[in-house]
Amino acid sequence: MIALVDLFSLAAIGAGVFFFFAGTVGLLRFPDSLTRLHALAKADNLGLGLVALGLLPRADTALAALKLIVIWALVLLSGASTAQLIGRALRRGRK
Amino acid sequence: MSPGAPTPSKALAARLALFFGLWLMIAGWTAKDLPVGLVTAAGAVWISLWLLPPGDASLRTAPLAALVLRFLRGSIFAGFDVARRALAPRLDLNPGFVACPLTLPPGESRNAFCLYQSLQPGTLPTGAESGVLQVHALDMSQPVAANLAADEALFKQATGHE
Amino acid sequence: MNEPLLAAAGLIILTVAIGLIRILRGPDDVDRLMAVQLLGTGGIAALLLTAYATGVPGVDDVALGLALLAAFATMAFVNLLETDDDETELGETEP
Repeated sequence: MIALVDLFSLAAIGAGVFFFFAGTVGLLRFPDSLTRLHALAKADNLGLGLVALGLLPRADTALAALKLIVIWALVLLSGASTAQLIGRALRRGRK
Repeated sequence: MSPGAPTPSKALAARLALFFGLWLMIAGWTAKDLPVGLVTAAGAVWISLWLLPPGDASLRTAPLAALVLRFLRGSIFAGFDVARRALAPRLDLNPGFVACPLTLPPGESRNAFCLYQSLQPGTLPTGAESGVLQVHALDMSQPVAANLAADEALFKQATGHE
Repeated sequence: MNEPLLAAAGLIILTVAIGLIRILRGPDDVDRLMAVQLLGTGGIAALLLTAYATGVPGVDDVALGLALLAAFATMAFVNLLETDDDETELGETEP
């Protein structure tokens, strides 16, 4: 028998895997660098967020849970800012 | 944001609590290590004041909570949006640049808003020139500029820029 | 329920590894960089899943380190692009 918490973890982590898959498909299928940047910035950040969410109830201490959230926030921050930097470089290069 | 202005003690305490919390997260809770953590956190506050002086934003709890909820909802929707466009049998894309005039002054608040915006569905800011933000959009048929203006209004409410 | 976590970690690594096809295809270095970024985020997710599945201490700290360092490669790369470009408007780049 699977406990409700495990079911939640499995659902969130499964959804996370799906978004990593979608990000990869976007990276391979989208026609130009700028659209690929969208796929990268949004899909895999959500993927990691869902994986972290799925692991949250499995954390032993509040500090371990905080670590999951901090890791996600760091990746979110660096992913979003580097996407803008790359986007700006691409736009300027195009002119 | 004049450099000589005294730093509000509330902002200092918030930063100290943040860094001490991060230290606890890495090092774990052991009584004899706590003084080391406090010293480390104080050092981190000192460096952070040097790298990122307190800005002109004054956060308001209720609009900020609304903004965070909107951000989370928007970033989940953004992930679904990208996934749908990527996995559709025929790519559903109509990309292009939209010029959006910004009313936020340049600085940390504007940077934070651009970060926020880059995780919303279909938009990616690519830098601003003379107050006009160049946003790359996945789908030009969406009301990109209108959505951005609405987001900016909410953002200004939450950060006290009015 | 540690096996599903490890399986998810494997799936994520497999997915982002497929994304590395972008490195072969290019066409620009920016596209290759994006594939590496996707590998970085996927790696963090896989490390977190492995940490919780195996209970080996310290694995989640490795994920934290990766998350901290994630932005640096991209920033160095974009700086290089901007210095190549004469019409850059960034104050801190060399003339």
